[in-house]
Amino acid sequence: MSILQWIYSVLSFLGHDVGYALAYIIESIILLIFVSISLIVMVYLFRKYMARVQQRIGPNRVGKFGLLQLIADALKLAGKEVIFPKERDDLPYKVAPFVVFFGLVLAFAFLPYGNLSIFGDLTITYSDVSIIFIFAILSIMPIGEVLAGIGSHNKYALMGALRSVAKDVSFEVPMMISVLAIVMMASARTATSLNLESIVTTEILPYGILEPIGLFVFFIAMIARASYAPFDMGESDSELVSGYSTEYTGLRFGLFYMGLFGTIFLGSLLVSLLYLGGFNGPISSQVGFIWLLVKGIVLVLISFTVWLSMPRIRIDKLVNVGWKYLLPISFINLVLAGVLTLGLGW
Amino acid sequence: MHGVLRLKAKLDGEVIKELEPVIGYLHRNAEKLCEMGFYCDNLIYFDRMDYVGAMNMEVGYLEAAEKILGVPPPERAKWIRVIMAELSRLAAHLVWAGAYGLDLGMLTPFFYCFGEREKILTIFTEACGSRQETNYMSIGGVYQDFNEKIIEEIKDFLKTFPKRMEIIYNIYVKNDVFLSRTKGIGVLSRDLAIAYGVTGPMLRASGVEYDVRKAEPYLVYDKVNFDIPISHKGDNLARFLVRFEEMRQSLKIIKQALDKLPEGPYFNPKAKKSMMIRMRGDGEYYARTESSKGEFGVYIVGDGGVKPYRVRVRSPTFKNLSILPVLSKDVMLADMIAISGSIDLVFGEIDR
Amino acid sequence: MEVKEPKKGIPLVGIIAGMISVASHLFKKPLTVQYPEQKPYEPERFRFRISLKLDDCVGCTLCEQVCPNGSIKMEKLERENPRNKRMLYPDVNFGTCTVCRNCEEICPTTAIYLTHEFETSRTRNSFLYSPVELTMDEKEVKK
Repeated sequence: MSILQWIYSVLSFLGHDVGYALAYIIESIILLIFVSISLIVMVYLFRKYMARVQQRIGPNRVGKFGLLQLIADALKLAGKEVIFPKERDDLPYKVAPFVVFFGLVLAFAFLPYGNLSIFGDLTITYSDVSIIFIFAILSIMPIGEVLAGIGSHNKYALMGALRSVAKDVSFEVPMMISVLAIVMMASARTATSLNLESIVTTEILPYGILEPIGLFVFFIAMIARASYAPFDMGESDSELVSGYSTEYTGLRFGLFYMGLFGTIFLGSLLVSLLYLGGFNGPISSQVGFIWLLVKGIVLVLISFTVWLSMPRIRIDKLVNVGWKYLLPISFINLVLAGVLTLGLGW
Repeated sequence: MHGVLRLKAKLDGEVIKELEPVIGYLHRNAEKLCEMGFYCDNLIYFDRMDYVGAMNMEVGYLEAAEKILGVPPPERAKWIRVIMAELSRLAAHLVWAGAYGLDLGMLTPFFYCFGEREKILTIFTEACGSRQETNYMSIGGVYQDFNEKIIEEIKDFLKTFPKRMEIIYNIYVKNDVFLSRTKGIGVLSRDLAIAYGVTGPMLRASGVEYDVRKAEPYLVYDKVNFDIPISHKGDNLARFLVRFEEMRQSLKIIKQALDKLPEGPYFNPKAKKSMMIRMRGDGEYYARTESSKGEFGVYIVGDGGVKPYRVRVRSPTFKNLSILPVLSKDVMLADMIAISGSIDLVFGEIDR
Repeated sequence: MEVKEPKKGIPLVGIIAGMISVASHLFKKPLTVQYPEQKPYEPERFRFRISLKLDDCVGCTLCEQVCPNGSIKMEKLERENPRNKRMLYPDVNFGTCTVCRNCEEICPTTAIYLTHEFETSRTRNSFLYSPVELTMDEKEVKK
């Protein structure tokens, strides 16, 4: 029984059509709340972790242990005067942050979340091609960054946008090829090998053990997609002021900020689903959601450590890394996966 | 980047074709102000030149001013000055090491560097009562004598610091990305460095073994044993390594100076406090010292009055900055930032 | 002395070592201090606020002359003091004071001296301390 059925059973007195429509709406609202809460927790975690690693204390004034700091920050951003640059390209400028943020929220809808005792299956939507859908949505987000860069009519924003496009293009291909290897291996065991959930449920060993190269390539590609150090080309704060978000203030800036942290969280969830067994854990499958979250948070902390301890790569060397190193080894990974699947029957 | 520098760049895509630094945003007229104050007052303007390592500036000014006024410091004051100058060289290099990481996008080592710097500033406070603009040295000696507690604290610092410094050093140089940003970038050849009057760690990284402390020893630098780190590479990494090696040499100097610190008066009785505003200087004198950025020269003309007639400063960073447009021709934007970071810019000194 | 270039290691190993050494700071004690509640370590010789002993001041105006910023100005104060016939006492503008301690050093009778107190935040126009205020504690001045 999934959460959709669970909500419907409460609303069943309304009849089939209205009941399911309402259940879907409520489910979407739950998703939005989940995403925003997890983003707030992410930002709080980041600030605390960064502070402790840098031998500081971090936010501790608003609320107990500074827990309300993020809400205060959000209120401050919302209360700020919205300043529009004079020579902006109006529509792209205004739309860009929403493209980035809602693309991100959409991607969360297609992740399989596993079970949580009484609620049953927490997955929001089922799709037989959910992998393709998630990566299609992920490639909408760079478009938002480009729109922001071009719409701002600002040299720093334009350069930031161009850099981030160069970065995204050169890391997209190795990422997709390493996902392809997984789909290939899963297709030996399941008919719906593009469905993220059936990939995870039918695996014997986590794919990270079978394809460590794939795990490495995919993790680096997710770092690049989330664009933090060493790949924060879009921002480059010591060179390009603040990159594509230079001209943004208030809530629109907040959406870009949330987009960054959301991508880190999404990336960690994706890595743990594809390579580390996702909601499968050593103890009973009734708490799959907890396993997923634990794996996700550990990966998030690793990503933060990478962020805090790495300098920025120069843009031409970054493109080199993408095309000259990651692409060949992701092909090697693909061949190895083929050998494992066809030759050894794993 | 340290300070208020404006760079006008002509770009071709990501490649810089032309670069023009615009300076003067921190101009405070220090040289002219020096003509209006007594010899003892002017020290505070020198504190505010290289504000990250203020003691070195004070040493430079006093080298010239004491010659003009004819009040040489006693032996103990000279050793104390050496200790303080080397400590503030450490403080200045720590600020640079942290800020260089920020220039390259590395967030964390900055805080470790400032954590260590804080200990040096505590020693300064213990000795003279303020943290950064110390005004510790005075004409004919130092403001207050060292006591047991300060010496104890410096010894503690000498024990803990090398370990912390190696941690910071390893975070930087073991990182492949950091090496790719510094190795072979911004190569400054030996001839170009000499032609542009570049001094300090930048010159030494280009393969010239020149250090005022060795070439023309002032204070008691001829009585301590230390090496001049040089490198023949001339790139960003060489500058980085030379500065870190200099920090190790500074520790060596402090250790020796603490052992050799003699007993005795800490100021010249001719410059006692009632004489502070009555000392008259005549003649002209140029003194050069090795500050943390390079050769720091002070030229003072006295006309027999209680105030100097003219004070002129040779700022090392100003000369070093002049190399930036040459080095950053036809390099990428990100490299230009890395090069300008490796120069170690402090604008209090460039604009004065 | 030629500096040593770092040895070329296996790629990624150095990065991971750096990450571990950054992450290992997680459980160290923070260096920062929560200021109003916790007081930071204050060295013995730390000085900030200028104080005055009215009875010792002889009104010699040396402190006014030596002050590099002109923060100290002499002021007439009707007061019984046999040593100070001109009845001149310094008043200090803390808005421009740079704590160079020249006034303390030059004072022949140690009437003007610097104290530990540093919490002297005021509104913008009330940095000017009269001679009488200089003799008092900071808390009394604020009242």
